[in-house]
Amino acid sequence: MALLGGYSAGSFPDYEVQGAKKVHFSPYADNGGSVMAIAGEDYAIIAADSRLSTGFSIFTREQQKLFPLSNTTVLGCSGCWCDTLTLTRILQARMQMYKHEHHKELTTPATAQMLSTMLYYKRFFPYYISNILAGLDENGKGCVYSYDPIGHCERSNFRAGGSAGALLQPLLDNQIGYQNQEGVDKTPLPQDRALAILKDVFISAAERDIYTGDGIFINIITKDGIKADKFDLRKD
Amino acid sequence: MESQPGLRLAGKTWTIGACGQNTSVPVLCMFLTRSEYDRGVNTFSPEGRLLQLEYANQAIKLGCTAIGISTSEGVVLAVEKRVTSPLMEPTTIEKIVEIDKHIGCASSGFMADSRTLIDRARVECQNHWFIYNEKMTVESAAQAVSNLAIQFGDSDDDGSAMSRPFGVAILFAGIDEHGPQLFHMDPSGTFVQFDAMAIGSGSEGAQQSLQEVYHKSMTLKEAITSVLTILKQVMEEKLSDTNIEVMTMTPGKMFYMFTKEELQEVIKDIA
Amino acid sequence: MIAQNTLKAQVSQNMAFLGEANRYSPFLAAQNDSFHSASYDLSANTLVPDIYGSQRSQAPLTTATSVVGLQFKDGVVIAADVLGSYGSLARFRNCQRIMKVNDNIILGAGGDYADFQYLKNIIEQKILEEECLDDGFSLKPKSLHCWLTRVMYNRRSKFDPFWNNFIIAGLEYGQPFMGTVDKLGTAYIDPVIATGYGAYMATPLLRKALESKPDLNKEEAIDILTKAMQVLFYRDARSFPKYQIGIISKEGIEIRGPLTLESNWELAHMIG
Repeated sequence: MALLGGYSAGSFPDYEVQGAKKVHFSPYADNGGSVMAIAGEDYAIIAADSRLSTGFSIFTREQQKLFPLSNTTVLGCSGCWCDTLTLTRILQARMQMYKHEHHKELTTPATAQMLSTMLYYKRFFPYYISNILAGLDENGKGCVYSYDPIGHCERSNFRAGGSAGALLQPLLDNQIGYQNQEGVDKTPLPQDRALAILKDVFISAAERDIYTGDGIFINIITKDGIKADKFDLRKD
Repeated sequence: MESQPGLRLAGKTWTIGACGQNTSVPVLCMFLTRSEYDRGVNTFSPEGRLLQLEYANQAIKLGCTAIGISTSEGVVLAVEKRVTSPLMEPTTIEKIVEIDKHIGCASSGFMADSRTLIDRARVECQNHWFIYNEKMTVESAAQAVSNLAIQFGDSDDDGSAMSRPFGVAILFAGIDEHGPQLFHMDPSGTFVQFDAMAIGSGSEGAQQSLQEVYHKSMTLKEAITSVLTILKQVMEEKLSDTNIEVMTMTPGKMFYMFTKEELQEVIKDIA
Repeated sequence: MIAQNTLKAQVSQNMAFLGEANRYSPFLAAQNDSFHSASYDLSANTLVPDIYGSQRSQAPLTTATSVVGLQFKDGVVIAADVLGSYGSLARFRNCQRIMKVNDNIILGAGGDYADFQYLKNIIEQKILEEECLDDGFSLKPKSLHCWLTRVMYNRRSKFDPFWNNFIIAGLEYGQPFMGTVDKLGTAYIDPVIATGYGAYMATPLLRKALESKPDLNKEEAIDILTKAMQVLFYRDARSFPKYQIGIISKEGIEIRGPLTLESNWELAHMIG
């Protein structure tokens, strides 16, 4: 070792201590997944793919990523799955606590605000999740709220998020927002058309994004309740 | 005094006058059963009462009268202000305050205690708005204040017990998705919704009158007149624009305190 | 006083469910969240490693490789070898890591062996306390899966993770259950689960087998899993020919082994 005097062991990889190898730890994982939601006059549709993955491995092909929080509110999550599990459990508990404390169901806009504050409270150790909340507002109109991981919240009529979010949003802007289209009459989007666009959009995502695929779970929210549906995507 | 030996307790003479003008028989009985059970705020007496709470209720009976009526058009609150000296600035006595745009309250009893409760109500309303982006319901606000009121005698890791219950009763007047509402809360933290309610020294008489005058289809204007008529009955002084406060809670104006001019206008009509 | 209470309420709303391994009530854990409270509360139990210069569990030491599991018609089989590696050194040759939890749960662990032993102790204590109640109820696999998820997530949130992968298998109301949790608290259920290198090499084999015959019987499932273990032994440099199999079905729990894997290295002479 005298020969090595003055030099750090780092310059001599052969002399490094074997066995106890340093592995760095990250509390986050990217488990992929895409979520999308569309709000209509008297409905909201939200869908998420069912692939749970990390890197090139697929953990499971049938993971539900939609979380019904009340009769009129559904949350879709993608990103760090362990954070999703934790956040949605706390949310479900908060929904129940609110019901008991205030003797009424939390409305979708109120849930949206609560989620925003919950995310911001973890500003310095965020939940690494792309959240999209869909439901009906106080007037029974469809609404969609989208978030960043630290609680920025925006209401819109359609939103795509998650691993294929950037891929899908422009398509939605064009097909639902009628952007870059000339001479179209901007009629309100009927439910069946919204559902068709949504399926097409996920098929496109599965073609290009390896973190999106296997299938999608769909929730259609109307005043009559939440209707659940499924749709297959390519599994490769 | 000597002719009433029952009132001599613990070497101290208790005068009836000290309990307020409206001293009635139950009060006398309560002082007769005065014993070691009124020391700790958490100790039940053998009759199953928390004497400190009952004393707190007595404190409210010394307080100024406050009356509220809830109608389908809105809620009205009115209180008497005891201006005990001509040198006093009457506007600094604030017995009706805003908790949020849609909730106001009138309190009677120890006003210093009421500030603590009102502070809590305001914080809870703002916190509710912050978290849920919606108005707190009147009931939830009353519940939140009640949660603080009932904490007398509790102690936890970072604080000792409150030494006594709050010596105030509060009337909450508000409007939420269920429409105009009036809630009453007492020192025990018990809160109940009322169509019409009175607290303070003149409450017993006032409540009697409220029962006679209240009906479901009352207009707000009728309610204001009734409230002031009753207040006039239970007040020693004449109604004036300085010795009362009136507030209305309506869907249009929400929390609204009457100005001096408006007070003069409504007093004029009271016989 | 009021401000303090409000703050506390808000904090506890966020921190609910973040219990510790030895603290079962999820709502009592308010003060113990990581970063967040640590940044503001510089009391004795702050947990940011940098401030006090202590680093914990930044790397596993004695490690065990893949765990694999497969559901069949009315039960589950899981398997893992018994090697405890010290880096590249095959240090311990009988580290058994398939455990029976109670009459309806078995558990397999990979990753740091010391962390597994610690958690094994806690789980055994939990089961013992439950048996002492003698109320006829016992922990169900979904509950243990959820509990372990919370434990793993809480430790990762303190930057002091349990460096393990777990497979929890069992029967719940007669239905087979298999779920997994990793060091972050990433949890899911699936009829096919393989951790570590098994995720790359065993899952395709197991998924293919299950797809071609969805209602496997016990023997078929064991055969497929044994084949997967053999493939892993051939290709995973940190594997070992001695292994255990845990089987849970209506007949009860059986933990076989350590068994020995058959292997043929004749081919090796023809290379190079």
